[in-house]
Order: sequence, then C-alpha cells, then structure tokens
Amino acid sequence: MSNGPEHTPPAGEPIERRALLARVGVGLAGAAMAAPLVMSVRSLVPDALYEMPRRIKVGPPDHFADGPTFLKEQRVFVFRAGPTFHCLSAVCTHLGCTVQLVRKERTQGGQGVEFHCPCHGSKYREDGTNFAGPAPRPLDYLRLELAPDDGQLVVDLAQTKDKGWRFTV
Amino acid sequence: MAEETLTRGQDGKRRLSLRDLTWSWNPATPREAGDAVVRNFLLHWFPNKVAKASIASRYSMWLGVISLFLFLNLTLTGVVLMFLYVPSVERAYGSIKDLEYAVSFGRFLRALHRISAHLMVIAVFLHMVRVFLTGAYKNGVLARQNRRLNWCLGLAMLLVTLLLSFTGYLLPWDQLAFWAVTVGTNIAKAVPVAGEAVRFVLLGGHEINQNTLIRFYVLHCVFLPMLLAGLAAWHLWRVRKDGGLAARDRVALGERQEAAPPVPSKTYMLLGIASGRAPDVQTSLVDPERHLVPAVPGLLRRLLVVALVTFAATSALAIWMGAPLEAPANPDVTPNPAKAPWYFLWLQELVTVTTVRLGGWTINGALVGGVIVPGLLLLWACAAPWLDRSGPEATGVWFHRARRRANGIFLAICVALIVLTVIGTFLRGPYWNFYWPWEAWPAHPARY
Repeated sequence: MSNGPEHTPPAGEPIERRALLARVGVGLAGAAMAAPLVMSVRSLVPDALYEMPRRIKVGPPDHFADGPTFLKEQRVFVFRAGPTFHCLSAVCTHLGCTVQLVRKERTQGGQGVEFHCPCHGSKYREDGTNFAGPAPRPLDYLRLELAPDDGQLVVDLAQTKDKGWRFTV
Repeated sequence: MAEETLTRGQDGKRRLSLRDLTWSWNPATPREAGDAVVRNFLLHWFPNKVAKASIASRYSMWLGVISLFLFLNLTLTGVVLMFLYVPSVERAYGSIKDLEYAVSFGRFLRALHRISAHLMVIAVFLHMVRVFLTGAYKNGVLARQNRRLNWCLGLAMLLVTLLLSFTGYLLPWDQLAFWAVTVGTNIAKAVPVAGEAVRFVLLGGHEINQNTLIRFYVLHCVFLPMLLAGLAAWHLWRVRKDGGLAARDRVALGERQEAAPPVPSKTYMLLGIASGRAPDVQTSLVDPERHLVPAVPGLLRRLLVVALVTFAATSALAIWMGAPLEAPANPDVTPNPAKAPWYFLWLQELVTVTTVRLGGWTINGALVGGVIVPGLLLLWACAAPWLDRSGPEATGVWFHRARRRANGIFLAICVALIVLTVIGTFLRGPYWNFYWPWEAWPAHPARY
C-alpha cells in the first residue's frame, strides 16, 4: 500500500508481490467483516413460522344464515344466498384495518350493506367496490371450498379470486 | 466559611455577590476557569470559553439542550422500566397493568417516560425550527465549518426520535399498539418492490405476533437509543468543531475590522495566516473581554438550570397527566376511530387524503402520503442549506431579510403539518369522518 501510483505496473504486467498480498489482505479482512453482517441480517428473516394456517375450516355451509356473516378471527365476511356462497376479505385495501359492516337503507327500499373502515374512512359497497375514502381497490374475494373429510366450508386466505366470484355448494 | 464565599472582582478586590448563596465557587482568573474544565472528567468536552451570544436564551432557547436532557431522562427511566416490563404478547399488557397498579412508583415512572417522549418530539421539532429560522445551518466566517452536515445529522436525529416514539408506544400491546403496527408496517409494505420484504422482516412473519413484539422491543431499547446517542455525540462534536453556535459567527463578523495582526505569544497555522481563514486567527478577532465568558461557570450554571427546569416540568406533567392504556390488543376488532398519537396524526391525515386516481390508475395514499410526501419533505429539508444563497451575514440571526423566502416556505410547511395534526386530533370521529368539536359523534357499534 505504501507504493504510490508510480509503482503500479501497466495493465497486463504482473503486479508486485507486496501489492498483491496487500490487496488480498484487505479483501479478506473485508470479507471477514461482511460475512457475520450478512449472517446477522439473514438470521432475522424467519424460515420457520408459527402462524395461523391460511386455509381454515369455518363450519358446515348450512350453519350460515342468508346474507353476510362476519368471522372475526379470520377477518372475512361470508355471504350466503341459498346454495351460493362468496367470501369477502375484511382487510381494508388501504392500510389493513378491519372494515366494519354498516347496514344502510336503500333508496329503492330494502336494506343493503356497506363496509366502512375506522382508520382512514374508506367505504366499500356490498360487492366490495370502493366508493369513498383512500382505498385504492375493492376488497379481495377469497377462495371458498368444501373440506373433503367433513364437508365444512373452507376459507383460503392466501388465494384471491376475481370480483364477483361465487361458490355453489 | 464566610471568607471563602468572597470572590475577587475585576479590580482584584473581594466582594460578596448574591450568586454565592447558590454557587460557592467562582474562578478569580480566566486561567482558574479554564483549569476547571481541563481538570474535570465530566467537563472535559466543554470549551474553555463560550460566546455570550451563544448562551443567550433568546437566541437558542436551549431547545437542543432540553432535547438532550429529555433523552437522558428517557434513558434513565427506560432502563428501570426494562426491569419491570416483559416483552411477550401474553404478558406485556399485564406487566404494564402491574406498573400502573402494583409496582411502587411504577405509575409515576411510566408517566415520566411517556411525557418525556412527547416533550422530546416537541423539543426536537422546535429545535429544528429554531435552527432554520436563525439560518444556523449556514457556515459563517470560521474555517472548516460544516454546519450543513450537522443540519442533516439533526434531521436524522428527528427521524430516530419519531421511530423511538413509534416503537415505544407499541410495547404496551394494547389496541393503540396493535393497530399502529398494522398501519405502520402496511405503509412500509406500500413501497414498490422492496415493501413486501421489509414488512415481512419488520413483523418477523406475515402477521403481528411475538416475533413482531420482540423486534420492536430490541429496536426501542437497544438499537435506536444507541444510534441516537451516537448521532448526538457526533452532532455536539460538530458544534464544537464549527466554533460554537452560529450566533458566534455574527460576533466575529461584526468584529472583523478590529482584527489584530498575529502576535508572537500565540500559535498560528501557517496556511491559516496566508488565507486569513484559520480558526485561530479568526477566533482572535472576537474580543474575549467583551464577547466571551469562561464555560465554567457561565455555561455550566445555565445547563444545570435548564436541566432542573426540564426535570421539574416533566415530573409535574407526569403527575398531572399520567399515561393512558387502552384495551388489550385485539386483532379481531379495530377501534373506531383508530387514532395514532398526536405527533403522527398529520401522517394519518396525509395517507387518508392522498390516494391519487388518474383514469384507471390508482396510487394508494399509503405510498403517496406515507412515503413519497414525507420523503420529499425530508429531501427538501436536507437540501435546504445548499439551496440557501444568502451570505454569511444571514447566519445566526432570527428572520434575516436575505432569508425571507426560505423562512416563509419553511414556516408554511410547519403550519400545514400543525393544521393537519389539529384536524386529526380534534376534528375526526368514527370512520374518520369530519366532525366539529361541538358536534356529537353518532352512536356506532364500538365492537362486534
């Protein structure tokens, strides 16, 4: 390292032994310091998770009443219309708070539901369409299926479906 | 004993002053005052002398010092709280309840910690406002100043202070904590490309659980305080290297014509004399008799008074206000309205109103208001010293005419942030709807 630039040989020529060893030494020292840093940071990215399963049995289909049912532990709304089901995520698409179901009188008569978010005031229609507040997109439709073993309805929190997706038992 | 409280005046005669009742030691000579700094371990980082302009409270209002003492207070109370708090999702809330109702003085210590944190956010913010409005991020007349760097260090410290507050109010694991982590980490998630991974590492998984709590606990108790302490040390070191507060540069500027030629009794840097910009030469421009006082006791006594007032005020506020605790964290129910602490409500307002819709395109307010707008503000603040074209005469003085426009823009931003905070604090009700303070909130289901 004490050799100034005037000692640096032109490209193609072998460099001096001292300069080479100095470079190798610096490189090794750098690697020796970088390795534990990388290991420390990597150790903070979990490999094993002990979380709630993403596919959850929520009960036999005929236990659901017609209309929306809120399942608070799964943070979803399960809608039933006779044999047809669909499932809306209750997680606001803005910043992840749980939206609340609000019953509204329809102008044409009858009742409809809306979903309002308590954190930043996003509002969604019954079909999940966002119509007010900062929400950037509609609520997610989640996949439903029947458990093959006992016929319970299963919500898959990891699989979103297109808007308007229905599941018929 | 009475003999010892007598000190010599300028004329060498002994006189009794009122000060001697509270301060039994008074240096008789500058040499004696300097020795007090050099020989004392606790004071070794003090300057020998400070400018009267620097310690004038109408200039600095001691806001940086107050921030430092609040940080000290937070460290001391925080270490005690660490003995009593259990960072586990099952027991965290219970240990805070114990602090409130079962631990002797636990309620006071927790309230002291919390109120100091709130005051520190205010003090650090006001300190930044003071530095900006006095143009103290500008270099003056001394050589090798780098106040721009120190301004950026200060901004970094403001950021760390806010992160400390954020990680701190998560620890009780009440409803405020749980939904603040939810919203906070979803703002991080809104960052393009890296967001998802950042949230995963912050939470230690996909959902908020034990991994999350222990991460924020270590950040709050170890990582961020050490970072802040390091930055504060660097910040103060730079203040010394920059020759004290910017007000001192104005003194030097005013005294320039009185510059004496180099004298043989002093050591000069050769290049400094040649260019006329060495700190030693320039420092000599400030007439020590008129403008400087020994740091001990001049500065030390004021520091002790500021510390005393700070601790007294925080203690009184802690007893008066206490520290609230919401219901235990419940992932099933979002409180309505779910409000962040007041110093983040401007951000909550921003993420609410900044969702942008252009034709079929929608950009989430989480990205615009949560990341882009604060990021641009921070970037502008960092760049401000470089954008400022005013001369050195605008350094270290409140509202200098040459900096009228910069001050105007800065104050407008500050007022906007304060207005957003006030709206969020007083004018937002259930579902984040707008209500005047005199309007009653409608009845709504508090929980399912």
